[in-house]
Amino acid sequence: MTPLEAVVLVFVIGCALAAALLRDVLSAIIAFAAYSLGIAVIWVILQAPDVALTEAAVGAGVMTLLLLLTIAKTVRPESDASFEDVRPRSLVVVVAFAAVLLATVPALPAIGAETPVTTGEVTSYYLENAYEETEVGNAVTAVLAAYRGFDTLGEAVVVFSAVVAVLMVLRREVMA
Amino acid sequence: MILDILLTRYNYVVVALLLPVGAYMMIENRNLVKKVIGMNVFQTGIFLFFITAAYREGASPPLVGDGGAGVTYVSPLPHVLILTAIVVGVSLTAVALALIVRIYAQYGTLDERRLREAYADE
Repeated sequence: MTPLEAVVLVFVIGCALAAALLRDVLSAIIAFAAYSLGIAVIWVILQAPDVALTEAAVGAGVMTLLLLLTIAKTVRPESDASFEDVRPRSLVVVVAFAAVLLATVPALPAIGAETPVTTGEVTSYYLENAYEETEVGNAVTAVLAAYRGFDTLGEAVVVFSAVVAVLMVLRREVMA
Repeated sequence: MILDILLTRYNYVVVALLLPVGAYMMIENRNLVKKVIGMNVFQTGIFLFFITAAYREGASPPLVGDGGAGVTYVSPLPHVLILTAIVVGVSLTAVALALIVRIYAQYGTLDERRLREAYADE
C-alpha cells in the first residue's frame, strides 16, 4: 500500500461517514461529491482510466447536479443539530453486516495477485485479439462496443426508459 | 496476521466498510435524498470490489493498441461492467430523485416519518 492509496482510502471513508452523519442535506451532498472525486482517484490508481473519467464526469458531476436540483425544488429541513442521531438498533444490524463482510476478506486474493479474473481465458482473449479483431486501441472500448455490444444496447434502453420515466413523473412540474 | 491482511487486501476492507455505511444511510437516515445518497455509496462500494479484482501488480491500463510484447494489462472486462453499472446507477438515481420531487409536491415533506403519518391519514 502506497501512502497515496492510504490517504485516498481514508479520505473516501471519511467522506462517506460525513455524508451519513451530517444532518444538513446540502452538506451531505457536498460530502458525497468529494467522495465521488476520491473514488475517481482510486480508479486512476487501479489503472482504470475509463472508469475514472466516467466516475468524475457522471458520479461527481451529473449526480451532484441532480441532487442539487432536487433540493432546490424541495426544501432543506431546518436542522437544530449538525449531526444525525445514531440509533443503536440499526447500528447493531450494520455492524453485524460489516463483521460478516470483513470475515470474507481473508479468503480473497491479495490485491494485484494473478487471479482468474486477470489471467483467465476471457481476459486473455480480449487482450490478445481485441486490437486485431476490432481495430480499437482501447480494450475497454472494444469490449464495450463490440464484444458486449448488446449489453451496451441494454444500457441505452435503461437510460431511455429513465428519461421517459423522469419526464412522466415530473410532467406537471416541468412542463407547466 | 490481521495487519498482513490489511496491507495486502486493504481495498476489500474498504469495501466491507463502505457497504455498511451505505446500508446504514438507507435504513436510518430519515430524509429521502440522503437515502438515495446512501444507495450510491453502496453501489460504489461494489464497484470498488470489481475494479480491485481487475487490478494486477505492475500492469498498465488495457490500451492494447500501442502496447508491445511482454506488457501486462489489467483486465478490461470488470471495467466494462462497471462503466455500464455507473450509467445505470445514474439513471436509477435520476428516476428516484424525480419521484422525490413528486412526493414533495404531493405531501410537502421529505421526512420518512412525517410521510408515513401523512400516508396513514389518507
